[in-house]
Formats: sequence, structure tokens, C-alpha cells
Amino acid sequence: MNLAPAYSKALLRNETLWFWGGVFMLFWIVIGAFVESQGLSLAGTALRQYAASWYAVVVLLSLSMLAVAIANSLTYGSAALAYAFRYTRLTPNGYLGSVLVASAIMGFFLGFLILGGTVAVFGARFHASLVPSNIAGLVGVALVAGVFFMALAAILMLVVINYVGLRSTSLVGFVPLMLAYAFGLGQVFLPLPAWLLYGSPYNDITSLLYQGFCGAAAPVSGAGPATLAWPILVAALLAWSVALSAGATFLLRRIRARQVEEGRQV
Amino acid sequence: MLDVRDLSVTFPGSRTPAVRNVNLSLGTERVVVVGPNGSGKTTLLRAILGLAPITSGTARVFGQDVSTVRGELRVSTNLAEVYRLISLPVRDLLPIFARLKGGDPAALARRVHEFELEGTLDRKIYELSTGQQKLLGVLLALSAGPGLLLLDEPFDNVDFSRRRRLAALLQEQSGAALLSTHELELLRLFDGWHLAFMFEGRLVGPFETANVDRLFLSRGRVPDALAILETSAGVFSVTLDRGDLPVKNATSLTALVEQLA
Repeated sequence: MNLAPAYSKALLRNETLWFWGGVFMLFWIVIGAFVESQGLSLAGTALRQYAASWYAVVVLLSLSMLAVAIANSLTYGSAALAYAFRYTRLTPNGYLGSVLVASAIMGFFLGFLILGGTVAVFGARFHASLVPSNIAGLVGVALVAGVFFMALAAILMLVVINYVGLRSTSLVGFVPLMLAYAFGLGQVFLPLPAWLLYGSPYNDITSLLYQGFCGAAAPVSGAGPATLAWPILVAALLAWSVALSAGATFLLRRIRARQVEEGRQV
Repeated sequence: MLDVRDLSVTFPGSRTPAVRNVNLSLGTERVVVVGPNGSGKTTLLRAILGLAPITSGTARVFGQDVSTVRGELRVSTNLAEVYRLISLPVRDLLPIFARLKGGDPAALARRVHEFELEGTLDRKIYELSTGQQKLLGVLLALSAGPGLLLLDEPFDNVDFSRRRRLAALLQEQSGAALLSTHELELLRLFDGWHLAFMFEGRLVGPFETANVDRLFLSRGRVPDALAILETSAGVFSVTLDRGDLPVKNATSLTALVEQLA
């Protein structure tokens, strides 16, 4: 049974997610435009690349936050899912598919909000028109990235639910977000080699978003070629998304009913 | 429909089993399990549903082991935790669960109206009172006309008039049922049902609810006992028509055992 409309409705009505995944992320766009740009002389291509870097990293943070929030819901619904797979028409594939679709839809809207925010805020700061080069490409990347993050967060949470115990959920839940900060900011400030940028799904996402926004291939400041090839980035991101979704389905079939109170620390 | 063999449940970190060597077989019978709070009734229901860690023994529903059963629509429960699938108001949840169970959303909506629960529709399940949650849980469990109904304390915090209507509704249902309660006086609402007692994780029975006025509890092992109840306070016998204390006068099973011990 397809629960995608119901999950999409629940997500799109979630004001907390809109605030933390959308409005709060616009705060970082403002920081990028008005604080971090102090002393920089930005115009033309340099400005587009600078804005694209901020846009890519902030979308990464927003989607990882969305994934963490949704995956946390698994801890509240472990008994419901264990029951539903046994005694209703809901299947693990049906459930995961519904949640992935819903998170992709929410990711699309959040990505669009941040895109609008980036164009508006950077445009106002630098008195420039910053129309993204490839809006369709940005939408596509946001959708696949939504699937990737949801599958990653689901795997981490399901490992905790099935094998570790709910006390670890509040800590493990932050892993996707912490990795987003590490890889997202790492690409901006550290000379990461090309193999890592291709192999890391986080950097696949930021590199594709960067290219979709400013029109130029993402640069490599570490070892390897000077820029990243988008077909390889797309292939790597799709491979990660498919592999993680398969892993999440495997774990979901074995979901163990837990009492939410188990997650209390004190 | 239900076959439970030597079922035990011990929670991680606990030395005392919550459920001990329970054996139970239901075809189309309906059973009320009476026991005090903490006696293991809810854990037994969860284990039968595959939602509690079974330490030893087996539980099978319609021939399938509960750890591997999939898509068996004939089994239903009112446990509130199984309805926390998605964070939406009751109005949205009702048709979702009705369809998931292969039931009729319109029929479920009518039952909600009959039990005067329209006030719950715009709220989420966790915002409802315990009684409202219990009532909705039962109505959701009944939405598919189940073959095996597992009901945990369905009358808890439910007002008197709706208790009667709920009991009448349960009486109308066909198929097997296992209903737990800690209230002995409720047994009179379930004429024709079997009866079992649960105490410190052990299930003893079956008896008949129609005979509840004739059941006695006696200290020790008594010849011709219907069943033996082994507890940490000693061994007791359940007997018919004679014994130390009549079950019908007890406010609870615990009070009865404490009086005898």
C-alpha cells in the first residue's frame, strides 16, 4: 500500500522541519552573504562560484537535518512497523518507498526555498542577478540527495533499533549531520583529493549542486584532475542511494519493536 | 488460529521472566485473561504479536510463527503503540489503518460516530485521553472483522455507558479473542467466554466466565483442583463450589492471594 501521500502530508505540515530545515538554513546564507564575504572582492564568475559554494553546503546541511528528523521517527514507530509488516498490507518495500518519496518531495521544497534565498540574499548583497544555470539539474540532485540522506539515516537508526538499543538513537541520529559539516565544509576549506570527492556521496551532492548553480564544474584543490566530471558524480550518488536503500530495506524487514522509553538517558 | 507452546519472555537485564511457560491454544474460542497489574498480560499479548522478545517457546498465528509472519490481516490488536505509524490527526489515520487492514473506512467512521468519538478526529493519538485511546484502539482492531482479536485492557478508563456498548460489540464478533483485564467484575459482561488467570507471568485455566460465582481459591494443593496457581507467596488451588475464599467476592486476584497467604 502506498503511504507516500500520507507521509508527504505529515512532512509538509511539519512546521518544526520547515523552521530548522528551511528558515534556520537561510540564516547560514545570510552569514555567507554578509559576514563571510567581508573583505572579498566578488563580482561576475567569482560571485556566482562563491554563492554556489554556500548554496551547495547549506542544501547539504538542510537535507541531512531532514533525514535525521525523519529517521528519528523510526524509534517512535518501531512497534507500529513491526506490527504493520506482520498484520497489515504494508510491506517493508512499500513503507521505505513511501518515506523516500515523501522525503524527496520535502527535500525538493527545502532545496527550492534555499535556492530562492540564495538568489535573493546574495543578489541583494552584491546588487547582482544570480539566476542558476541549471534549475532542472538542481531539482534532480535535490530529489536524489533526499533519497540518499533518508536511506543513510534509516540504516543508522535501524542498526540502533535492531541491535544496539534506543539509548544510542539521540547520539547516532546526529551522524549524518556531523558528516555533512565535515565533508561539506571540508570541500570548501581543505585540499581534498579527487578520489575522495568522487567517492563521498556528500561531496557528490555539493559538487553537483555547485555545478548546477554556477554552471562550472566543481574544482579539485587536492590531488587529481582540476575539476570533477558530473557524470561520475551522478553515477556515484545514484550507486550510494541504491545501495543504502537496499541496506535499509534489509534492516527494515527485521525491525524490532522497542518501547520509546528505552531511549531515555536518565 | 493461535497456538502458544511453553512461551517465556525475559527482558534483557532482568532475572525474573515476565511470562513463564505459557501454553494456550485457540480455535474459535474467546478467552478473558484476568490478572493484576504487572502479572504479564500485556507482555503475553505483545509476545503473541511478535512485539516482545520471546526467550523460549513458540507462538504461532494461523499456522505461522509470529517472528516471520507477514501480511496476516486476520490478526488485530488494540495496543496503542501499533497505531503510532505516522504523525497525523485521527481523521487521517482512520482511513489509512482501515485500508491497511483491508477494512471499510466508512464503516469505521460510523463506529467512531456511534461511540461519540468525533471530538478526537482533529487530534493526534497522543493528545487523546487514555480512555479515548483504548476505545479507538478497539474500533481500529475491529475494522477488518478479525479472525484473532488480541485486546489489552480494552475497558481501562472507559466510562460506564460505553463499557456496556463496547462489551456488546465484542460479544457480536466472531472468531477467536484473547482479552486481558485486571477487573474481575467485568467477567459478567462476557457470558460464554472462557476464563484464565494470570499471576506472576503464569497462565492458569481454562475456566468458564459463567462459573465465576462458583470458583474458589484454596491454600496448597487440593484434590480435584481445576488448576494449580504457583506464586512467590505459595501454591494455591482453584476449585469449583468449595474452597477457602470465593473468587466472586474478591476485588482483585492479588487481594485474594494476599488474603490466603
